[in-house]
Amino acid sequence: MQVTETLSEGLKRGFTVTVPAAGIESKRTARLKEVGQSMKLPGFRPGKVPMSILQQRFGESVQGEVLEQVVSEATRTLLDERGLRPAMQPKVDVVSGDAPGSTDDLKFTVEFEVLPEITIPDLSTLSLERLKSEVNAETVDKALKEIAGRQREFEKVEEDRPAASGDVVSVDFVGKVDGVAFDGGSADDVNVEIGGAGFIPGFAEQIEGMKAGDEKVITVTFPADYGAEHLAGKEATFDIKVRELKRPIEAKIDDDLAKKLGFEGLEQVRDLISKQVGQEYEQLSRLRLKRELLDKLAEKTDFQAPPAMVDAEFDQIWSRIEEDRKAGRLDEEDKDKDEDTLRADYRKIAERRVKLGLLLAEIGRVNNITVTPDEMMQAVRAEASRYPGQEQAVFEFFSKNPQAADGLRGPIFENKVIDYIVELAKVEDKVVTPEELAEMPEADV
Amino acid sequence: MTNILAIRKKAERMSREAMYDIIRSPLITEKATALSEKNQVGFKVAISATKPEIKVAVETLFGVKVLGVNTLIQKGKAKRFKGRPGQRSDVKKAFVQLAEGQSIDLTAKLV
Repeated sequence: MQVTETLSEGLKRGFTVTVPAAGIESKRTARLKEVGQSMKLPGFRPGKVPMSILQQRFGESVQGEVLEQVVSEATRTLLDERGLRPAMQPKVDVVSGDAPGSTDDLKFTVEFEVLPEITIPDLSTLSLERLKSEVNAETVDKALKEIAGRQREFEKVEEDRPAASGDVVSVDFVGKVDGVAFDGGSADDVNVEIGGAGFIPGFAEQIEGMKAGDEKVITVTFPADYGAEHLAGKEATFDIKVRELKRPIEAKIDDDLAKKLGFEGLEQVRDLISKQVGQEYEQLSRLRLKRELLDKLAEKTDFQAPPAMVDAEFDQIWSRIEEDRKAGRLDEEDKDKDEDTLRADYRKIAERRVKLGLLLAEIGRVNNITVTPDEMMQAVRAEASRYPGQEQAVFEFFSKNPQAADGLRGPIFENKVIDYIVELAKVEDKVVTPEELAEMPEADV
Repeated sequence: MTNILAIRKKAERMSREAMYDIIRSPLITEKATALSEKNQVGFKVAISATKPEIKVAVETLFGVKVLGVNTLIQKGKAKRFKGRPGQRSDVKKAFVQLAEGQSIDLTAKLV
């Protein structure tokens, strides 16, 4: 194998490789023989097909197969020998010697971009701030009140007074359009909340002020966009008879409420809520920490990102942006920018992503951080639990699609590397209010 | 008594189209490949073809000198399809001995 370097510029490398014909020929013969062993051809017993016929029938396809193999092997040895790490799949062009049955030496060119020399910044000099928040009683109380609000009950109003806003009135009604009762327009013992939403506009309002046992005919107009088409926009009358007035009572926050929710006591509910909120805070805190870490790392990276990788990343982002734009979902701040600025912005983001990705991968590689099968299994299981009833199918999907599994592996790897860096870096804890914690820095990168 | 001379004469007067009708296809089998060592070639030929006709056809179509022709008729098998008896066609095969130093490239197209 003869190699001549034709290009070495920045991260780009180009080579011309010549592989002697003899080696290819012997490989081809061997492959043909292999094919002949299992080949079934009418007129011949399996494995007895003569070489000349094999050559004639399968020469071309075997030639292609062998060439591919030779080229990829040669490329690999080339990379190994020179200790190069390509950033992307090398681009290979066969120049000559690839015609079937040709006895010329195979000549091809390889072009690719190498990974830049990545210098890992001294991680122990990184100083980070971990934002933390304590769960306070107030938050728990608020959550409890919300739960209680959903559990409220109604109590009959004994005194004889007109229905007021906030009351719930139990009514019987018969709805008529042009004097004829229409389908679904009549019901008995329906709870209508005065001042609440959900009914035809004007319905509840006109009931306000009625007393238990009152009867009244009200007129309402169905909204033009009403669900039932034959009623939309029409005027209808309702014969209303009020059965009774009810008043909602706030559920008290006590052990009884907890029991109704299926817990043992109020303390348990409080515990659960504070745990949940705590977890939320923790996640947020981790997110913030990760972001700060990435920001700091990005500042310290000084290597050049391979343009091909940046292009690929950018194309990916850009196609999503295009889609968003078509659907009219662009971010507020992106709306006013013209195409060029937008492109430049996202190109910067793409470059940052590629750099950080490379750096994290390098840190992981140097420090032997790998994703263990156990962790992989856990991730798959977590993924599977999202599709109840189809766990088996999810497992199979991931075992059969290594690419999909890689998609799971990526984030795990990233998190492990980040954990590793966080351990090395100086981290200071800082307690902030939950509101400050939730305040996300702009534009996720 | 068949008049062998008359048959040879008739074969030599054969048109080119008739020759294409006589030679059906080459035999590409283990046996045919083995015979190529003895400079013999096998063909499937028309059932009505005679040895002199085959000889003339091979000589003109492939441009070679033929020393001799051996023929055989392989009887078609009796087959049943959906219970009904059927008969596969008989096939005449011809093994042609070429003169020394001559060969036929069976992969090339007939001109």
